[in-house]
This record gives sequence, C-alpha cells and structure tokens, in this order.
Amino acid sequence: MEHPEKNKDNQPTTHHISSYKEHFGTLVTLLLLTFVTVVVSVFGANLATLSVATALLIATVKVVVVAYYFMHLKYDLKLYSWLVLLVIVLFVAFTVLTAIEYINR
Amino acid sequence: MYMTTLVANTNFFQGKKGLFSWIFSVDHKRIGLLYLYSLMTFFIVGVTLGLLMRYELLNPGKDLVEAKTYNQLFTLHGVIMIFLFIIPSIPAVFGNFFLPIMLGTDDVSFPRLNLLSWWIYILGAIMALSTLVYGDGPADTGWTFYAPYSVRTGTNVSMAVLAAFVLGFSSILTGLNFIVTIHRLRTPGMSFLKMPLFAWALYATSWIQVLATPIIGITLLMIAAERMLGVGLFDPSIGGDPILYQHLFWIYSHPAVYIMALPAFGIISEILPTFTQRTIFGYKAIAFSSLAIAFVGYFIWGHHMFTSGMSGTARFIFSMLTFLVAIPTAIKVFNWVATLYKGSINVQPPLLYALAFIFQFMIGGFTGLILGALATDIHLHDTHFVVGHFHYVMFGGTGFAFFGALHYWYPKIWGKMYNVKVANVAFTIFFIGFNMLYFPMLIVGLMGMPRRYYDYLPEFHLPNMISTYGSWVLATGLLLMLGNLISGFYTSKRKIGRNPWNGITLEWQTTSPPPLQNFDRMPVLPKNGPYDYENKPSIKE
Amino acid sequence: MEHHTGFVLPNSGHNRDAEASKLGMWLFLFTELLLFGGLFIVYMVYRYMNHDAFLMSSFELSPVMGTINTIVLLVSSMTIAMSITAIQKGNTKTAIKLMSLTVFLAFVFLVIKYFEWSAKIHHGLFPGMEHYTNLPKGEALFFFLYFFMTGLHAFHIIIGVIFIGVVISKTKKGLLTSDNYSLNENAGLYWHLVDLIWIYLFPLFYLIH
Repeated sequence: MEHPEKNKDNQPTTHHISSYKEHFGTLVTLLLLTFVTVVVSVFGANLATLSVATALLIATVKVVVVAYYFMHLKYDLKLYSWLVLLVIVLFVAFTVLTAIEYINR
Repeated sequence: MYMTTLVANTNFFQGKKGLFSWIFSVDHKRIGLLYLYSLMTFFIVGVTLGLLMRYELLNPGKDLVEAKTYNQLFTLHGVIMIFLFIIPSIPAVFGNFFLPIMLGTDDVSFPRLNLLSWWIYILGAIMALSTLVYGDGPADTGWTFYAPYSVRTGTNVSMAVLAAFVLGFSSILTGLNFIVTIHRLRTPGMSFLKMPLFAWALYATSWIQVLATPIIGITLLMIAAERMLGVGLFDPSIGGDPILYQHLFWIYSHPAVYIMALPAFGIISEILPTFTQRTIFGYKAIAFSSLAIAFVGYFIWGHHMFTSGMSGTARFIFSMLTFLVAIPTAIKVFNWVATLYKGSINVQPPLLYALAFIFQFMIGGFTGLILGALATDIHLHDTHFVVGHFHYVMFGGTGFAFFGALHYWYPKIWGKMYNVKVANVAFTIFFIGFNMLYFPMLIVGLMGMPRRYYDYLPEFHLPNMISTYGSWVLATGLLLMLGNLISGFYTSKRKIGRNPWNGITLEWQTTSPPPLQNFDRMPVLPKNGPYDYENKPSIKE
Repeated sequence: MEHHTGFVLPNSGHNRDAEASKLGMWLFLFTELLLFGGLFIVYMVYRYMNHDAFLMSSFELSPVMGTINTIVLLVSSMTIAMSITAIQKGNTKTAIKLMSLTVFLAFVFLVIKYFEWSAKIHHGLFPGMEHYTNLPKGEALFFFLYFFMTGLHAFHIIIGVIFIGVVISKTKKGLLTSDNYSLNENAGLYWHLVDLIWIYLFPLFYLIH
C-alpha cells in the first residue's frame, strides 16, 4: 500500500546501482595507495617521523575512498555523510584534547 | 507487507496474557513497563544500600560495618544506581512507552531489537548483582574502577566490569532505536521542529548513548583483560599511565551524566506546559540547547581529574570548557521559569516534582560550577561536597523528574488515578527528606570531610546526624509515594478519560491505557507547533 | 490481522523500511569506530610516551605478512561490494558466488593471522608469558596492544563471516532479492568497517620504521 502523503524526508532514496567496473577501479586505487605506504615506510626510513604522518595520511585517504565508493556514501542521502563527519570531529577532538594533556605534562 | 490495523476498544494490557506474553513482547509499551518494574526493583536495592551507608555514618567510628564492607557498599550502590537505574531510567521506561505515541506511530523502528536490549539489560543486572553472592565479594573500587587498584584488588572486579560492559550494550541499542525512530517514524506533518521537547531531549540523549558508550566499553574490556592476563596495561612499571585510564573512563562517563540529565529536562518541558496551559517559552532554545549540551558535554571530561596530576594547560582548557556547558543549561532554566509566568498554574503532583526539580537542579548546577573552577576544586575534590553536588543533580534532578513523570503519565499508562492528596503529602516528606539528607553533605564537605570513608572526625558529627535522619525521612516519603501509586492501581474507581490533565501532546489524544497500536483514530497535530494551546485540537472521548 | 476500524497509521514500526535499517547499521558502525577509537587513543599516548620501545618492537612484526593481509582484505571488500551490485541487478547466483569468495578471503586472512600470532606466542611474547614479562619498558605495552587490537579485529572478522554466512543462506532461500536487499547492504557495510579498521592498524603496527 502506498502513502503519497508521507513526509518528504521519509521517502526512500532512489537506488543507485554501482557498476562492477567502478568497484574494480576503487580496488586498484586502494592497492596503489597501499603500495605507496609500504614503499614510503620501508624505503623512506630516513624521513623519520614524517613517515608516520604520511602513513596515516595515506590510510585516511584509503578510508575515505572505501567509505565514499564501497560504502556508498557518494550515492546515499547526505545525512549519512554529515553523521560520519560528526563522528570524525568527535574522535579528532578526543585525540586532540588528550594530546594537549600529554604534550604539556 | 505487514500493516498496522487498529483494534478498537482493547488496550495493550488486554489481548495476550501471562508472563511470557510480557517478557517476549515486542510492544514498546510492555517493554517500557518491563523496564519500569525491573528498574524499580534495583532502585530499592540501591536505596537500601544507601540507607546502610548513611546508618554507618550516623556516629564517628564503627556503627554497623567494617571499612572494607563500607567500600563495597558504596561501590555497589554506585554501580546499581548509575548503570542499572539512572542511565536507563527515563529513556528506557518513559521513552520506550511514550516516544512512539508522541510521534504518532505504533512502535519504535526496531521492535525486536528493543526487546533484545531489555534482555541484555537483565543479563547485565544479574551479572552485577551476582558479585554479591559468589566469588570474592563485590568490588570495593568505587563505581569508577580506577586503575591500578581495580587491577590489583582481590574482590570481584572482573564480573562487575563485564556487567557494566553488557549494560552499555543495552544502552547503545536503545539509543540507536530511538534515533532511527525519530528520523523515520514521525507522523506526517510533524517536522523536527514540531516534535515534542521530550522527543528532542531523547534525541540528544540517544546520540550520547551511541557515541560515548563504546569508549567505556573498550576501557572496561581492557581492565578485564588486564586482570585475566595478569598484566597491567595502565601500570607505570611497564611504561603505562594510570591517568590514561581516568581519561578514557571520563570520556564516556562525563557525557553519561548528560544521558542521565537530558531526558529529565525533556520531562520538565512536558510537565510545565500542561500545568500552566500555555505554550512553552522558547521552544527552539530548549530544543537546540539539548543538542548543545550533548555536544559540549563531550569535551569537558577532564574536570573530574583536576587533582590527578594532569598537565596545567589541559586543566585550564577543561575548566574553561566546563563553564561553557552552564550556558545551554541556564537557557533551559530561564525558559522554564518564563513558561510559568502568566500561565494558568494548576498545582498537581507532577508540577510539584517539576518545581522541585528546578530548585534542586539549580543547587546541583551551581555547586557544579564551584567544582569546575580550578582553585576551589583543589579544596573540594573528593570531599562530601562532591557527593552532595552529584546527588542534587542526579537524585534531586533526574530522580525527581522520573517520579514526576510517573505521576504525570500514571493515568495514561494504567487508566487509573492515585490519591492526589496523599501524593502531595508524600511529595512534601520526600522533598524535605531529600534536602535534609544532602544539604548537610555540602556543608560538611566544605568543612573538609573526605568521601568514601566509613569513619570521620568528631567535629563532623552534627551534619552527619542530620543527614542520616534525613535519609529516614526520605525513605518514609518514598515508601508513601510508591504505596500510594500501587494502591491507586488496585483501588482507583475513577474512570480516566483520554486527557485528565488537559495536555496537548499526542499521547493525550488516545485512550487510557492506549490500544495495542497506540491510536484508535488518526492523531491531529496542533497548528503551530506541539504546544500551541490556542489551536488545541478538541478531543472527543 | 483483524480489520476492525479500517484505520491505518501512515508510519509503522512494523513496516519494512530499508532506509531505517541502513541508518541503524550506520549508527552501529559508529559505535564500532569509537570502540576502536578508544584503543587508538591508548596507542597514541603510549607510543608518545615510549617512542623508541614501540619502534624496536615493531621490527618483530613482518611487513610482508601485513601487506599480504591488507591486500586480501581490500580484495574481499571489493567482492562484497560487487555482490550487492549483483543482487541489485537480480543475478542471485553471482551474488552468492561473490559473497562466498569474501568468506573465503576472510579465512585466508585469519590463517595468515594465525601463523603470525603463533610465531609471536612461540617467542613468548603473549602478555603474561615469560619472555613478555622480561621485556623492557614500553615493549610490553606494544605487544599487549598488538594482541588486543588485532585480536579484537580478528573477532570482528569472525562476526563478519557469520553475518555474511547468514546473508548467503537467506539469499539462497530466495528471501533476499533485487527489491529486498538491505540485509546484503548491511553485511557489506559491516565488512567494509572491518576493512577500514585494518587500514589503520596496518601502518600503526607493521610500518613504523
């Protein structure tokens, strides 16, 4: 039974079907990024602490790629992206406040 | 597809009968009542432990129990009252029962998950209480389970910690369910800004439940793992840091006090318009301040650790952020008081509880500011002042709101009425007892009496005596109140219509008690927002 | 159901609502993220306090094994994502094959993990073992965190395998189809989360050089 008078924001979204090609492309991107991290950390030892930052940066890029394509954030309601952002902001705030504490001990 | 169809003239108590029809029910109203009965049982256990502690403190020296037993008493009192009573209290009971009705729907989004969360709650409760009877006795660490003592003590900390972990799961599932329900099941025409304020409060609370509880979950698991493997992860001798445990603990447990307080704010925002018969003052301010409190509440956990050896910079930042949270809270109080102005005030038991809430919560709030200030906290940390402050906020605040809600929605839930005169008398005794019990703690704390000791110096005798006598007055008021509510159920002759208080939110448009599917006819929204008394839809019996 | 009044509430908690399931799943994923988030904070603080010890101990771990496992998980993430495309297009058989492949890759991951763990345990590096208790300050913390975090992650892999297993069997029975696939999507979301966490665990434990 259909209810045309339903709330607008309660309407299910139109379903986007990602192609196999897109998924494969995503995987290739992720593998490339993995390759870069390994190279930077194994052969870039003299970069010292810079390698930690790059490793985490690349990991973050990978995570964004996974969330955006594999987890469908690109095609879903914007609500999900906002909520993910909220969680990230919270977690970053936790780490920053904790870091401030320890760095100033 | 399963569609909701309404069966006229049967309420949710009728239909299926028997114990199993309750403990396996997916009806949100029955689950709410399951929570109510289990919560009240644990509450009475917690109160009893509290009375025993107060009795021990009647005179200096040993009155009743040894130091270790006293430590176990306050730990168990804390664990039961916090994890079993006050964290679930209003959301699990009244949220479950009334959120779907207030939104104009027939259930929460995931009814079976809702039942599961009650079962998980019961499992956690059994685990927590099992430490009483088996193993090496209940934990004696305080409800905070601070490392390294929690890793070293011989008492049954592992079980208590795992119980808290399991209870956290139940809390998360309830919060998750409410968020989805609010997003997906509002009745047509009810935008977010036309939701009742109780729903707003639950929405903010649920976000804290979902986003803060996991942190304590993992922290408690680490404590359990440490005890099992015999290795101290927070042990300085292998490079660890005990203060890190405190950070992780309070990253959850500070937001958790807003899990306890925000739903109470929602209750007050419902009771006040009904008993003043006018729209709430500052609807948007109250709604958004709930979100603001929830958000800012995440960043102020450090104010529990000012004396722990944390860095000065961090103490300064945390203290400053703590003062920020006073702003949205004060916004709420001003709006409540403004709602009373020029309203047609109808003094009934729920309103009395709401007014007591405002009075006591303000004392709790102001003492909180004193504790949030760096210099004064050094003096007051770990004294009875903290105990007084905490009970003013949690018991004088949330506890009173809980009982106010019980008196407010009693006719709707059971379709019966308690004796209003007795309820007023019980309230008066309860209110006097409460303030007699906790106000002296603030004073004796200022005088320097530390918390968590079974003994004290003779000069603290008088306030402690008043406090213990107060605990007996409070217990009398509580018994009278509960007795009155229970006897109302058996002796009430009055037929309760749909809307005994002349309320305006949707639950008052349905029968008392509501039918299984909540409504017997389509609920009608007031024209301009949920508290628009000028355009209140007329309700036929 | 009995039809007495014929009146139907427009929004019901008993209706099938794919969007609600998805929102519920995302909220659950947030709790998982913060669960590991707590551990990442512990890692951050202890690494800051014991910088050299963490560096020393990370040499005990094999980056080759870690890299292989990373690749395995990334590929499995793609296969589960593809299985959803398949079921959306109505290719149930392809979907089942792709999900089974995901489960297979999960087992490969676990087997590699098993060999890594047993090598460490063989050296007595598990918390509480003899060699472990004699480790210098800080290194013990590294291995406690290593076992705790990868252990918890492996536990999530096992839950994920069970979850996908259930979805496979429901798909086989025809309960999940091209117009009712929200359970497939949710299993996929969960599996990607497991992948996400590994993406961070990998550089933090294996690649500190």
